[in-house]
Amino acid sequence: MDFYFGLAQTVGIHTLLGLSAYIVLLTGQVSLAQAAFFAIGAYSAGMLTVLAGWHVVPALGVGSMLGAVTACAVGFPALRVKGLMLVVATLAFGEGVRLFFFNFDYQVAKGGIRVGPLGGEGFRQIRFFQEHGWTTGEVMLFIWVFVIAVMALLWWFDRSRYGAVLRSVGEDEVAAQSVGINLTAVKVSAMTVGGAIAGVGGGLYAHYTTHIEHANFNVLLATFAIAYPIVGGLRTVFGTLTAVIFVQAFLIEGLRFLGDWRNLLFGALIVLAMNLRPHGLFGRHGA
Amino acid sequence: MLDFLQTLSDGVLFGAIYALIGIGFTLVFGVMHKINMAYAAASVGGAYAGLLVLKAVVVAPAWMVFLGAFLAGGMLGWLVYVTCFHFIPLSSPLAPLMSTVGMLLLIDEVIVHLTAGMPQNYPAMFDDVMLRFGEFTLRGDLLLVFGISVLAMIGLLALLYRSRLGLATRAVAQQPIAAQLCGIRVTRVNALTFVIAGLLGGLAGALIGASVGALSPLLTTPLTVKGLVVTVIGGLGSIPGAIVAGLLVGGFENLFQQFRGVTERDMYVMLLLFAFLVFRPGGLFPAKS
Repeated sequence: MDFYFGLAQTVGIHTLLGLSAYIVLLTGQVSLAQAAFFAIGAYSAGMLTVLAGWHVVPALGVGSMLGAVTACAVGFPALRVKGLMLVVATLAFGEGVRLFFFNFDYQVAKGGIRVGPLGGEGFRQIRFFQEHGWTTGEVMLFIWVFVIAVMALLWWFDRSRYGAVLRSVGEDEVAAQSVGINLTAVKVSAMTVGGAIAGVGGGLYAHYTTHIEHANFNVLLATFAIAYPIVGGLRTVFGTLTAVIFVQAFLIEGLRFLGDWRNLLFGALIVLAMNLRPHGLFGRHGA
Repeated sequence: MLDFLQTLSDGVLFGAIYALIGIGFTLVFGVMHKINMAYAAASVGGAYAGLLVLKAVVVAPAWMVFLGAFLAGGMLGWLVYVTCFHFIPLSSPLAPLMSTVGMLLLIDEVIVHLTAGMPQNYPAMFDDVMLRFGEFTLRGDLLLVFGISVLAMIGLLALLYRSRLGLATRAVAQQPIAAQLCGIRVTRVNALTFVIAGLLGGLAGALIGASVGALSPLLTTPLTVKGLVVTVIGGLGSIPGAIVAGLLVGGFENLFQQFRGVTERDMYVMLLLFAFLVFRPGGLFPAKS
């Protein structure tokens, strides 16, 4: 049973990551910086519970806020450029953040051992859940409370005026601008919300794995973040959730019996899926 | 001062490889307005395929390996075009981005699968030659890398500006619909662009193998990032821009590697890119629009 709880935890955390890219993608922007906001959330929430002894909930809140603030700060200069330039700008920012954590040491002695992030060796012993005796099932429920809250929020956004504004910018910037929509404000706000979601996801990730290091937050993770909504389609938040289940539960866990061949099939299936369903598995039909 | 010059020249010579990779990205972008994320992976894949020549001909000289990599790179370029671009409608800009990422993962995994993840030794030419000017030296193999890259760039520019195919390519880049009305087969030009970019990529992959001495699948991600950085600093779609930016990034990163250490090196490259995005978002040679 613990295996399925563990799998559900992974799916939940990756859903948060995917949703953080989903809202940015709604405005037509492709951001490869989501892994960086995820990392910022992970390191800050981890440092607050381990070094400052906070409870995990306020620590997640601070991680999420830091993610949002960074996303907002990156949004202004990065969104001056469009399309592919933005892909590269956010990619570079993400790599920059990863390299920052690669060189980041902040350790304090606690109970005879030194704890805290230590550069390339990473940040060990983020043991809040274990120290407070949470079972795997409880941790899973805790994670899914956040997932469901975020999904409900985004689902509600989609039905509100704000969602319509986001999508109109994604469909046609010139048309959106001509009816008086402030493009920069809309894009930066989407980026900020995305950063907050990624921050929560990162904080949860740090506490669930108990050990994070810079290599966890590489370009591959950033690509996964945008892959979920694109593969799932941008019609609803459930597309992202389905894509995460498809990738994490089916492609990664379900095909484990294939051994080495699984990894080969993984890339090939993504190529195939995009050829057959260019607008995502649950996207609209046709052009 | 000598240290500085030495480091700078080594970096600039190696930067020729970044320039080649940057040209590949920029060429595809210029013609199709799409980004090919699988490009660096295909380049490394081409270089690996060149090693097959060593298997077939037991004591193959290095130039045969290079030639094999060159041709295999072209074939991989065509394969990427067919699998990731040909059947996907132009109206879905996100799909080819994702399919090429899938292709990147696939090529990476094929390499890992076939070599069991072990780095492979790569043959070099002139690696025992050293040009000395007093204290200042130039490594023979880096000079060769630089020389081959320059020849490849001249060849590409001649192809683009002195041949009918080049004219067609530039026409498609400027106005695909008008080009089609003039009787240019757009899909064929697109496919050929991928083949040409792939040929350059295979060569770049082989040159990396030769100057580092080994190839590893771990090269693909950093190479993708560097190639994209070079493309943006040079100005998207600009070939001279990619060349200058490649040499610039090569020299810049080697300086920071020397004076700040290898772990911090790439952080400064990203800062350089961000400085460009803020102060000169069009790159060194912005596209006229």
